Amino acid sequence: MRFTALDDATVVQRLRSAGIRICGMTGMSEFGLGLTGSSAGRVVETKHADVELVLDLMGESRVAAVRVGACGFKPSYGLVSRYGVIGLIPSMEAVGLLARQPRSIRTVLGCVAGADERDFSMPEEPVPGFDEEWTVPAGTRVGVIREACSGLTPEQLTGFQQGIEELRAAGCAVSEVSLPDYPLFSLVHKIVGSVEAASSTGRYDSVRYGPRAPGAKNWNEMYLGSRGAMFGTLVKSYLFQGAYFQFENYAAYEDACRIRARLLGQTQRLMQEADYLVLPCPPRGGAEEKSALEAVYAAFAETLWANVTGQPVLALPLPGSAGAVGGIQLMGPRLSDARLLALGEMVLDRRKGDR
Amino acid sequence: MEFEPVIGLEIHIELNCATKLFCDCPNNPGDEANANTCPTCLWFPGAAPRLSEQALEKAALLCLGLGAELQPRSAFDQKVYYYPDLPKGFQLSQAHLPLSRGGGIEILDEDGEPRRFRIHHIHMEEDVAKLVHEMDGRLPVSLVDFNRAGAPLVEIVTEPDFRSAHQAMEFLKVLRTQVRYVGASECSMETGTMRVDANISIRPKGTDQMNTKVEVKNMNSIRHVGDAIAYEIERQSAAVGADEAVVLHTRLWDPDKRVTVSMRGKFEGPCVPDPSVPVIELSPEWIEGIRARLPEMPAVRAERLTREHGLSADEAGMLSTDPEVAGYFEALMGAGVAAKPGLHWLTTQLLPAVKERQQELGETPVTPLRFAELLQLLAKDSINANTAREVLGEMFESAAGAAEIVAARGYAQISDRAELERVVAEVVAAQPGAVADFRSGQGKALGFLIGQVMQASGGKANPKVVRELLVGLLG
Repeated sequence: MRFTALDDATVVQRLRSAGIRICGMTGMSEFGLGLTGSSAGRVVETKHADVELVLDLMGESRVAAVRVGACGFKPSYGLVSRYGVIGLIPSMEAVGLLARQPRSIRTVLGCVAGADERDFSMPEEPVPGFDEEWTVPAGTRVGVIREACSGLTPEQLTGFQQGIEELRAAGCAVSEVSLPDYPLFSLVHKIVGSVEAASSTGRYDSVRYGPRAPGAKNWNEMYLGSRGAMFGTLVKSYLFQGAYFQFENYAAYEDACRIRARLLGQTQRLMQEADYLVLPCPPRGGAEEKSALEAVYAAFAETLWANVTGQPVLALPLPGSAGAVGGIQLMGPRLSDARLLALGEMVLDRRKGDR
Repeated sequence: MEFEPVIGLEIHIELNCATKLFCDCPNNPGDEANANTCPTCLWFPGAAPRLSEQALEKAALLCLGLGAELQPRSAFDQKVYYYPDLPKGFQLSQAHLPLSRGGGIEILDEDGEPRRFRIHHIHMEEDVAKLVHEMDGRLPVSLVDFNRAGAPLVEIVTEPDFRSAHQAMEFLKVLRTQVRYVGASECSMETGTMRVDANISIRPKGTDQMNTKVEVKNMNSIRHVGDAIAYEIERQSAAVGADEAVVLHTRLWDPDKRVTVSMRGKFEGPCVPDPSVPVIELSPEWIEGIRARLPEMPAVRAERLTREHGLSADEAGMLSTDPEVAGYFEALMGAGVAAKPGLHWLTTQLLPAVKERQQELGETPVTPLRFAELLQLLAKDSINANTAREVLGEMFESAAGAAEIVAARGYAQISDRAELERVVAEVVAAQPGAVADFRSGQGKALGFLIGQVMQASGGKANPKVVRELLVGLLG
């Protein structure tokens, strides 16, 4: 886009001041939406870096992680400053972290988390202690979402069930929980996410920065020419979708906001039945290479829940051939980030011990 | 058929905050173009808005000053439209949950009766950039100055309560006074810190239907608002009389031709809740804290001035429109000056003198205490009115007190009867013609004789004593 930022993002500043070495940049998809063209997970896989930061709009950091047999984590909404993050969906996106070990994620998250006077959307809540020793109490209740397994291949389902067995073996009390409204997460993400994206990209008008299409006779032509040349096909369809709901079907957007609030309430009720919710994390991503929006939603159907509700979620690779089987997602209540990562550490430590 | 207009007003007021609404850039739109910009108000990738606390406080103060009710929850929305003066494709405004609801202003109607006009709501929003089109030269260019982009505004939306241009104008005058009182804005329509849009429709008199309205903009004085409304009422009445439909659109007031001109169809873009600016939650304690900072509002002050100093309602009302003048007056009262001469000398002598010297009342070297000293010399007959005017002029130039100036210049008024009797006798002897005229009943001659005595005394004689002596001697 021929634009150099004037300032480091807050996460980058905090990494630097914590003495963490920044060894490179992950090539992302356009605005971080989906995984087309993204190299997310590559450096963690090849051990060129311990931790990778990847924007998580609908599950990108988690899906990219399990594809390469690594862990992916999306922190609680508002835990990590979004100042300097070039995103699309302010109310859903988060800086995701990828690493081979949840412990590395916990260390880095401890450095970057917490209130930032440059990001007013962060709640003034105490940050969970990342330095503390968290133990996972015996009988920790884990609820498997029944509706989330329907889209899996038999191989993926078997792998997922193995992951659940690991939790049971680790002393967790596993039960099946049901959320009949589960398909609505996708719908809400579609409408609310694309509407926010249409607004977020309004700034790319070629008036103040960025390449400007030549030959325009007036500002309207300039906008159309510059934006037309600048945005890729997938983002364009996404923005069209958002503009449709903004200008032509605002009632649907309002409905989606109401449904989102309802889903939030239902999730909170589920979090009383179980300490953690469990979902599969199929290794799809990249299936959207045709740049079709529907393919993107299909690829992230199981991961976008946490983006809609703002909960912390950890994706662990499943034992065996990760590339085909994918991973398992553990989702905790808001700001349970530290103990959620401790649970992940325990599961992976036990797995290592078994071998 | 007789028509009546239905008029509602939308008033934008630029708050006089130090910074813009969502960043720390100086709120000085007049500075060198694009001097006051940063990654946030230029909406660079990754920028995040941070609501200014001062803007929220000033806006809240303004709401309370207009009798409005601050809402415990308000939030910003995105008013989506694309234009080069809008750096991010949407304007942050409070469309769904405004800062305050209700409120109103009482004015004197055409018939002299007090009437209250209701405010529907008041919301905060950010201003847009300024476009400069340079059409001369080989290639015409449009330039954008983002100094104003993100400047803090409030918009006051009234109920459609107005039925005449007079009512709208009176409302705006009182509104302007009240906003100045709370110190939230200078409210100058000339420089654009107050901008008024009028929504006007007409209907058969006596019905309560709401017809299609027309929005009129671009008036840069309260008088122009009145003129534009009057014109639009005529225009719409004529159109409806000729069976033409009134369509929803925006018109611009042309102050030279004194007509409204069609500008564009009225565009209403969508308003989406903004996910980046947090919901504003005001606690009752916070609201009371702001209320405690509210100055005494003009109507209340006028009532008190009437009660405490015996001013007429007109005098007190006039005095209260400007908080500086009212404050000055009260300082004079505090220094022991009597109300009527104090008011008279303040409005007829001091204010014109201050204005003539292009000073502000708050900054003039003639402070209330110094002015009070002068007025007290006058009240004690130590000097006469002419001398007082002269001394006042000198007080602008020197730091000396009024009594000092009087003493130094030998201005003290002569009230000593024995001394004046001598001068009066001299004048009577020297002016037999005028004396004869007076005795034959020509009243004018007395004034002439008093003038002669004043002249002979070097302007220092007490004219009251002179008059008494003359009448005594000749009558």
